[in-house]
Amino acid sequence: MIETHDLRKRFAAKTAVDGLNLVVPQGRVTGLLGLNGAGKTTTIKILATLLRQTEGTVRIGGLDPVRQPHAVRKRINLIAGGERMVYARMTGRENLWYFGQLYDIPSRVLKPRIDELLDLVGLTDAAGTRVERYSRGMTQRLSIARGLVNDPDYLLLDEPTLGLDAPIARDLRKVVAELARGGKAVLLTSHYLAEVEQLCEHVYVIGDGRHLAEGTPAELITQTGCHRTVRVEVSGLTPEVEAAALAFDPAVRVDSAAGVVELSRPGDVAGALTMAIVAAGGTLTGLEIAEPSLEDAILALNDRSAVAMAQVAR
Amino acid sequence: MVVAWATLRRSWLVTRRAYPWTYFVGNLLLGVLTMGLAYLGLRVLGGGEVGAEFREKSGTGDYLAYIAVGAAALMFVKHCILWTGKAMIQEQREGTMGALIVAPARRLPYLAGFSMFSFTAVALEVAVLFGCATLLGVRLAPTGWGDGLLAVAGLALAVFGMSVVLSNVMIVAGEAHITQNSVFYAIAVLSGFTFPRPYLPEALQWLGEVVPVTAAMDVVRGVFNAGTGVDPGRLAATLLIGLLYTTAGFLAMPWAERRAMERSY
Amino acid sequence: MRHALRVLRAEALKQHRQIFGSKLVLFSMLVWPLLQLAEAYYMLHPLQGGDSGGPRLLAFLATGTLGFTFFFSLVQSSWHFSMERQSGTLELLFLSPANRLVVVIANGFGALVQNVWLFVSFSVAMFWWLGVVNVAHPGMYAVVFLALLVPAVAWGAFLNSLLIFSRDSAFVYTLLDDPMWFVSGVRLPTSALPELVRAAGSVLPLTGSLAIVRGALLDGQGVGDLAGELVTLTGLSATLLLAAVVALRVGEARAQRTGQLKLF
Repeated sequence: MIETHDLRKRFAAKTAVDGLNLVVPQGRVTGLLGLNGAGKTTTIKILATLLRQTEGTVRIGGLDPVRQPHAVRKRINLIAGGERMVYARMTGRENLWYFGQLYDIPSRVLKPRIDELLDLVGLTDAAGTRVERYSRGMTQRLSIARGLVNDPDYLLLDEPTLGLDAPIARDLRKVVAELARGGKAVLLTSHYLAEVEQLCEHVYVIGDGRHLAEGTPAELITQTGCHRTVRVEVSGLTPEVEAAALAFDPAVRVDSAAGVVELSRPGDVAGALTMAIVAAGGTLTGLEIAEPSLEDAILALNDRSAVAMAQVAR
Repeated sequence: MVVAWATLRRSWLVTRRAYPWTYFVGNLLLGVLTMGLAYLGLRVLGGGEVGAEFREKSGTGDYLAYIAVGAAALMFVKHCILWTGKAMIQEQREGTMGALIVAPARRLPYLAGFSMFSFTAVALEVAVLFGCATLLGVRLAPTGWGDGLLAVAGLALAVFGMSVVLSNVMIVAGEAHITQNSVFYAIAVLSGFTFPRPYLPEALQWLGEVVPVTAAMDVVRGVFNAGTGVDPGRLAATLLIGLLYTTAGFLAMPWAERRAMERSY
Repeated sequence: MRHALRVLRAEALKQHRQIFGSKLVLFSMLVWPLLQLAEAYYMLHPLQGGDSGGPRLLAFLATGTLGFTFFFSLVQSSWHFSMERQSGTLELLFLSPANRLVVVIANGFGALVQNVWLFVSFSVAMFWWLGVVNVAHPGMYAVVFLALLVPAVAWGAFLNSLLIFSRDSAFVYTLLDDPMWFVSGVRLPTSALPELVRAAGSVLPLTGSLAIVRGALLDGQGVGDLAGELVTLTGLSATLLLAAVVALRVGEARAQRTGQLKLF
């Protein structure tokens, strides 16, 4: 398990991480979300031993990265998307072999593992080709294999699918889910919220380095009270029907010409609203319910935190 | 003329903001250290005296003045090539070459602008070097102001011709580091900057004639070291080879630019 | 120790792929040094007085150039190493549990072996042809080899460790190119240099290396004659390695504090 307690990181000009408490257990993918500059990458780099926190504690499998960096580094790895981070003049296989040596992995373990990893990221055929001839997607897939070369117990993924083609990103998501099922602790940051919704059982939302909310994606959406929009199409939208709809909720928007009644509310109002319309003599020809997305939730959380900050400032 | 002036001005503006001190320091250091090597070598190895063979082959017994002039000339040549010869590849690297090719400006004034700029910039380096040489007791006595001007103008034309040709080579090869340094090390051996060319095997002496600065250096030597004044034959050779390089360079330029553009797209 | 050897092997392969067959190495490690050697020889030749000194001067300059090539190849390799900062792979080295000192030593060693074999072969051929070699006993060849290799590797480790602090490595190139040959006695015996310059040169391991290489290879000196130089050079190499350890510690701690290991 990865645990942080009251984690803070101050740079000369700003506080990038401000009192974070995270728990990343084994066997599932935990998400870390926030807008740009929220402190996600800084947090991940602290966990990866590349940065040292200003205050607070980190425990990775019970180890302290500050005191036992060597032991921690053997058990973690980091995959950052959108960057090269491999040696262009070496082949794919040689790159993995090189990093395997840095991790001191015995040859009898390393050799089959490299084959497995190449297969996993679909580079078996290109294993003997120099990376400078790889496409961007291939390079990035190699960089993913590189991040798995030490079979890390703790995997830190910083925007791993950034810039990947859709089918490859989908395959990678499958791999990540499998790794988590296999018992690894995975921490994921991503701009693609659909990806987070699909993979993560638990999500932390941070803004300006601070904890804003946490929970399953569904819980986050409920917590933020994001509205569902119900859109009812009615044939024969009479003034009576309109009056009944408005009586049901004054926030209802009615477009008599198009025969549409719309209402946005946090709770589930579709049933009650349609009953009210039908009771007033309207005939339903269509019903759409737009569920709020995780994206709406994040934006809402961020707006709220900005308002709070402004109030504190005042 | 407008283009030349605009280029000169632009170079000054850019340079004032971000002067490539590494060019300046690196170039000046080499000149100063070469002088230092000559001075110490003369004192310790030669016991203050230079052999008769040198006198005979160079036409002067003043070893230090010979090296000072050669080191200054080499600095001048290198600096001009770094500015003028690398102008186009610099544009290519910054992604502005396309804009330059599309603009109706002609290449001659553009590169001439760079050359004028480098002549003014290098004056500072040469002054510092001669300052050091003076401290070591070197006194230069050119055979006349007119002669001196003519010799420097000849060297400038020679180096301009070389720069135009090198500019093409660099953008076609898409590479400057290996090209420029190979040229610098090669002319240091072939063109008589730090020793009289008759020391070289005959084949290499002939090879030196292919480089425009070789003839130009002979003129410089006559004026600044041997005291024999401008050698009309060598001056004519300088003009001929210098103009040949310049013309060939400009004639090949459209082709080189096309090749470079094809490579980068 | 076993891990160290594995890192060494891995770095050697990496350098081989990065460098082998590269045009830059052919030019900077063979063509340019040869041209520089020729220029220095002809420039100093007039000061020799007669032809008898010719081969002796050439041998002196060739040993100087050989040593310079060793040490400059490491300046060049540390410049490549600084590129890893920009490509992001340096951060990956720091992510791994590999010993940092071993990595910088292995990097320098790998580059050295790839870089200098051409010029070494050339030099051996030239010494044989000039007929100037005068060694006390065959074991001195090993001393010569080690006196070039060990301090050069320590030098490379030191330079690599310094580059963790700065992303501007052009200054290293400028500062360690021409000034290095001047102060280290590449083209003149150090006894010819002014006191101040000699003092500056004494902190560069190239100076001590050259004294031993020339003493052993050209002047027939044995280990006993060179004991003083050998001890000094060993001490200097150890100091450089120690400085590398300190620089790596301080540099990594600083990078962890400021996050400046990576540029973007």
